Amino acid sequence: MKIDRRNFLTYTTAAVLGGAAGSMLTPAPWKLMDDVSIWTQNWPWTPVPEAGPVTHKQSACTLCPGGCGINVRFVGTRPVKIEGLKDHPVNKGSLCPMGLSGLQYVYGPDRVGSPLKREGKRGEGKWKKITWNEALTAVTDKLASLRKSENPQSLACITGSSRGTLPSLIGRFLTVYGSPNLLRPATVQDANEQALFLTQGKQGTLGFDIENADFILSFGSGILDGWGSPGRMFRLFGTRKSEQRIIQIEPRLSNTAAKASRWIGINPGTEGALALGLAHVIIKESLYNKNFIEKFTFGFNDWTDDAGITHTGFATLVEAYSPEKVSQITGIPKPLIESLAREFAASPRPLAINGRGQGTLPGSIDESLAMQSLNALTGNINQIGGIYIVPEQTYAKWPDLGMDATASKGMQQPRIDGAGSDQFPNTRSLLNRLPGLINSVKGDSPVQALLVVDANPMYTLPDTAATRKAFDKIPFIVSFSSYMDETAAYADYILPDHANLERYQDIPTPAGMAHQTITLATPVIEPLYDTKHTGDALIHIAKSLGGFVEEAFPWDDYETFLADTLQDHWSDLKEKGVIEISPDSKDSAVLSFNTASAKYEFCPAAATRQGSKDSNAPSAYTPAAIEGDEKRFSLLLVPYDSIRLSGEQIANSPFMTKTVEATVLKKQMTLVEINPKTAKTLALKEGSKAVLTTPKGKASVIVHLYEGIMPGLIALPRGLGHTAYSEFLAGKGTNTNDLIGSVEDPASGFDMAWGIRAQLSKA
Amino acid sequence: MKEKNDYEHSKRYGMVIDLDKCTGCGSCMIGCYTENNVPFKADETNKLDSINWIQVYKLTNGKPYPETEISYLPMPCMQCDGEGKLGHSPCVSVCPAVATDYDYSTGIVSQIYTRCFGCRYCMAACPYHARKFNWWDPVWPADMEKYLSPDVSPRMRGVVEKCSFCFHRYQLARNKAYYENRQTEELGEDEYQTACAEACPTGAITFGDLNNKSHAVYQLKNSPNAFRLLERLETNPKVYYLSSKKWVRRQGDNYLANEEPGLIKKIDKQHH
Amino acid sequence: MNETPLIPAGVKRCSKWQFSLWMGAVTAVLIWGIYAMFLIWYKGLNQTNMNDAYGFALWIWADLAVIALGGGAFFSGFLTYIIGKDDLKNIINFAVIIGFICYSSALLILAIDIGQPLRGWFIFWHANVHSMLTEVAFCLSCYFAVLTIEFIPLILENPRLAKKPFLHHLSHNMHGVMAVFAATGVFLSFFHQGSLGGVAGVLYGRPFAYREHVFIWPWTFFLFTWSAAACGPCFTILVTWMTEKITRKKLVKQEVIWLFAKISGWMIITYITAKTIDTLYWALVTAPSKGFTLMDFYSSPTYNIGLLFIEIVLCGFVPGLILITRRGRENSFFLMSAVILAVIGVSLNRWVMVLQVMAVPLFSFNDWYTYMPSWQEVATTVLPVAYGLIVISLAYRYLPVFPQEQELNPID
Repeated sequence: MKIDRRNFLTYTTAAVLGGAAGSMLTPAPWKLMDDVSIWTQNWPWTPVPEAGPVTHKQSACTLCPGGCGINVRFVGTRPVKIEGLKDHPVNKGSLCPMGLSGLQYVYGPDRVGSPLKREGKRGEGKWKKITWNEALTAVTDKLASLRKSENPQSLACITGSSRGTLPSLIGRFLTVYGSPNLLRPATVQDANEQALFLTQGKQGTLGFDIENADFILSFGSGILDGWGSPGRMFRLFGTRKSEQRIIQIEPRLSNTAAKASRWIGINPGTEGALALGLAHVIIKESLYNKNFIEKFTFGFNDWTDDAGITHTGFATLVEAYSPEKVSQITGIPKPLIESLAREFAASPRPLAINGRGQGTLPGSIDESLAMQSLNALTGNINQIGGIYIVPEQTYAKWPDLGMDATASKGMQQPRIDGAGSDQFPNTRSLLNRLPGLINSVKGDSPVQALLVVDANPMYTLPDTAATRKAFDKIPFIVSFSSYMDETAAYADYILPDHANLERYQDIPTPAGMAHQTITLATPVIEPLYDTKHTGDALIHIAKSLGGFVEEAFPWDDYETFLADTLQDHWSDLKEKGVIEISPDSKDSAVLSFNTASAKYEFCPAAATRQGSKDSNAPSAYTPAAIEGDEKRFSLLLVPYDSIRLSGEQIANSPFMTKTVEATVLKKQMTLVEINPKTAKTLALKEGSKAVLTTPKGKASVIVHLYEGIMPGLIALPRGLGHTAYSEFLAGKGTNTNDLIGSVEDPASGFDMAWGIRAQLSKA
Repeated sequence: MKEKNDYEHSKRYGMVIDLDKCTGCGSCMIGCYTENNVPFKADETNKLDSINWIQVYKLTNGKPYPETEISYLPMPCMQCDGEGKLGHSPCVSVCPAVATDYDYSTGIVSQIYTRCFGCRYCMAACPYHARKFNWWDPVWPADMEKYLSPDVSPRMRGVVEKCSFCFHRYQLARNKAYYENRQTEELGEDEYQTACAEACPTGAITFGDLNNKSHAVYQLKNSPNAFRLLERLETNPKVYYLSSKKWVRRQGDNYLANEEPGLIKKIDKQHH
Repeated sequence: MNETPLIPAGVKRCSKWQFSLWMGAVTAVLIWGIYAMFLIWYKGLNQTNMNDAYGFALWIWADLAVIALGGGAFFSGFLTYIIGKDDLKNIINFAVIIGFICYSSALLILAIDIGQPLRGWFIFWHANVHSMLTEVAFCLSCYFAVLTIEFIPLILENPRLAKKPFLHHLSHNMHGVMAVFAATGVFLSFFHQGSLGGVAGVLYGRPFAYREHVFIWPWTFFLFTWSAAACGPCFTILVTWMTEKITRKKLVKQEVIWLFAKISGWMIITYITAKTIDTLYWALVTAPSKGFTLMDFYSSPTYNIGLLFIEIVLCGFVPGLILITRRGRENSFFLMSAVILAVIGVSLNRWVMVLQVMAVPLFSFNDWYTYMPSWQEVATTVLPVAYGLIVISLAYRYLPVFPQEQELNPID
């Protein structure tokens, strides 16, 4: 047979086909098929978690001030899961989404893995890795030079809170260094504390005995949206007795409102008027606790002072708040106001609680006073099911400070923020005023160096643009954040702290708890990266500064300091993780007040109310004016809190963001809630793209129609709109602080903004 | 489906979710993610491309302000007993490769990821959208692979997954009982609990053996407020819900304009 | 050496240049489809717009539709070899080719559609006999093998291949036993066409698709088989007509077409009557027992009640009535209108039984699910069309597909 080109092709084709068919009779293709499928079952890029013995370690969650006990499950040396600690007095096993996703913070992409020095422009994201030695030296040098130039007060430090030993350590550092400027954000706790001081003359935090109250009147407190210690609040709701009634008063059907026995819509910002209106009915109908009012209170009725001047009593004051008038202000029908007042007064253990949403904004002192007056009318002061005064944490005394002339001079300077000044004598910190004050100064910023610890003011402060402008004027910013948050991203140096689970942290009584607890978060894992406890970093800096500053810190490290500070509690805490201090239950102690009258003062006489023209004016309702021209901005923007979103210094974990509903965030855009009626007048539909404008800024949003919001309002979730962090959070939605500014309470300086005027138009 | 069905006497694990207690916090979802190595992506806002073994839905009564009410409804896999309670759940009967199966000893519907070849017929069959497809390769950024649990294998792209009632916890509990020389039939109620039930901070989720009189779920499921989702499809879910609100109970199933939820149930019972 | 021509004797084909141009154009589309296919295999199904609500979407519809349209093959085989309608021999070759294209396309689409294509064989190895899909997969593969066997003798009739004595005899012998394969094909088709109906019909969690009692077995199975048998021939007629238009030649005698059309017409009428009964029982009994009214299933702008009218009346009774009347089917405008309507009708039925099943919300707190295929899905769905055109073009050019072509188009 002759082989030519044609039949060569034919034979080759035949051979290939024959070969292919033949090979099907061999095991090779079948084996290959099997191998390939086995490969798909073990793709090398699909992880196989390592097995190991299972153990548990107890600690506490430090992601928010809630102070919940946690139980960390380990496989070998790896923590694999965080669960609620069943026998912890705060949360009793319950944990919020943030706590449950705690491991994502430790291992996630937002961690700062080593000290960093800024390379490019601020916020540009160009960093140079440096050693701890270089980082600490850089900070020490700057701080030393400020002292050398006799300008120690130009060092400011922003912390997340003033509670716990780390803020105390920082306070000690600043004092001996010579700066009074330790700043922190204020919350409703601060307003309540101040009201407490005015009415009872005592320093302490306000605790709510929600466990034992049977009628909870919540003035917009998101008790199931993250208010107080979320773990505690959820547990209390789940285990509450069927007779406990919760009345939720707020303009939006929040999760709390949805779960409440009754939801009452109210015009935003008018809660204080409602409280006085309820007081009006209770007094008019003589439903108050006469025994308590007569024996233990002062200023209920009109009174005359030694100089013969007559002062208005609380009963007279509230006369002006008739149900008709209050109905006009609040939008709540008159009969409802009356029946609510009667139910409140008739309940054996009624309790009024305050702090809008998660209570992260203080609100006005008037509001706090109004709520406390309501509780006082029923005699629910330091009583089961009422409000309690929880004393401040006492620590062991540290060695006395020696202060050089520089420090003394610095400490005599007034605080930058005006807290504690004649204008706001009872206020401890007014971080909300800082950006405005810096921006109003011509020339050099009064803050020349800023240390930021456990805080993210670039995100959490109202009016982000103003904050950024102020920070631009601060020549030296150091962040001690564990994560690449907005402030860290804008800093000159980052000296990263250990993350949660990696560090010691003591947690004093969480907000709203009615009795005192101290919880200790102990490290359960070794630090993953090249990080340092901020306490250690500060002690190191103090020692490097030398002189009295060095002498003030005789401790080797933060752990020694902590042990020394907590003293006899230390060993208990190391062993048990938490200690409870039961309230003093003796009546005499309970009903003793440190006011001038030694009684509960409705209308604080001794402590005059600052900022008011009539220094003897009693607690009243001053409508909290908010920003914006009514004509240009016909709607009201109110931020709302959700337990699935964090608006605080520690932002959302990827898992939390994953749970956010599609009616809150869609791709990279926030959805605003508006009532269908309002939408109709604006020609907006579900899913319409719109532009939200306020006096502070503009944002592109998507419209979500929600029947559960009062017409005329726009609700915007807090916790979105981050510009820093990784792709799991950055660029998602709108930060409420970009659109809302701070409104100063004339009495305290606190931010009392509950929203802002706004406009919504089709994009 | 080789084992014989002993419906009355075998274990039938189930769940009772009290919607009056559910606050919509989402802890059950996160408890589930962390327990079951559920992956996450940068954008999870498309809920039809987001792996959730338990998903919390928001129900509303649709009334205008201020009469509006909402209720949250967490929806895990219903672990259906199927028509006639024979174990032929909508999904198990359709899977062409036996990648999902009904375990007659527990009533739990399993999913074998390495067997599944991703035809998604089960997803088409499930009326609850409990089944989720791995449209993407799972990626754990930074050091996040380090926190993965060895109890549940991470899934590869292209397969279906769903809630397993934390079956691995059942296996662990059974192994423990075995080592302690105890009968696995006598597993205590608290020895086997799902991650979502444990994570729920208000205790809205109760889990246990529906056939066991000493388990809480046994009583709870008989509450007059109890209902199951889409019962009329005869899927026989083992997840029960409690709600004191009639409008919520009504949204759990479909009813003609003239029908009342309670009445229909009675007719169904007579029917069987 | 004197080369035997590749083109069959006695027929005229277009120039090589013209043919290449046409093939080039179609191949470009094919390559686009193949690119999308590899993209999907490489990157996964995230390249599609399917989601957890639309686990079944465009592809499954395409599968069901091409299998229904390919039904002309088994039904013409049934009529020719079993019933003995010899006239249909003049169109059966083409019916087989179309069937082959349809079935191979269906298998290809299935291979793209599954999340783990490399494990696709699990459907055979770990088969769950209760699953409709298992049944479909087995029957589909077997029937595809049968279609291949039916196609082979035709390929071997290419003049150059037929020159080889072995191939010539093989072809001859295969023709001899073709009745057996045709019968096997009919048998298998009855099964898998029916099972395809079962795919949606057994979903008792999906009240839009679910049929109970006698209406699932044998009714739904019967409806799917019957509709494929009814509308498959219409598709064969349609493609033949298109081929005739493109080649500008009469290829099949009109009497053959009319016969095929008439049988199809009666099939459509019987099918749509049965479908109407099924729809009525479902709408009046099954759905209400699950708490649904008929209109609940047609409350979306996309899926409105007009769809049901189009499927049953416009694309069911209308083409059926045209085709069973002599004046209707012998008027070429009416004939082709009827054929096109029938093809649309059966495709719409398959669409509804896949896509609308997914779209219907089962909870009042869920909205209708929407879906729009991605370009990758469209490309891979167009891919079989390009592939089909190529196969038909090659077959027409090189194989004696139409026995009557010579007679109808004598070369001068």
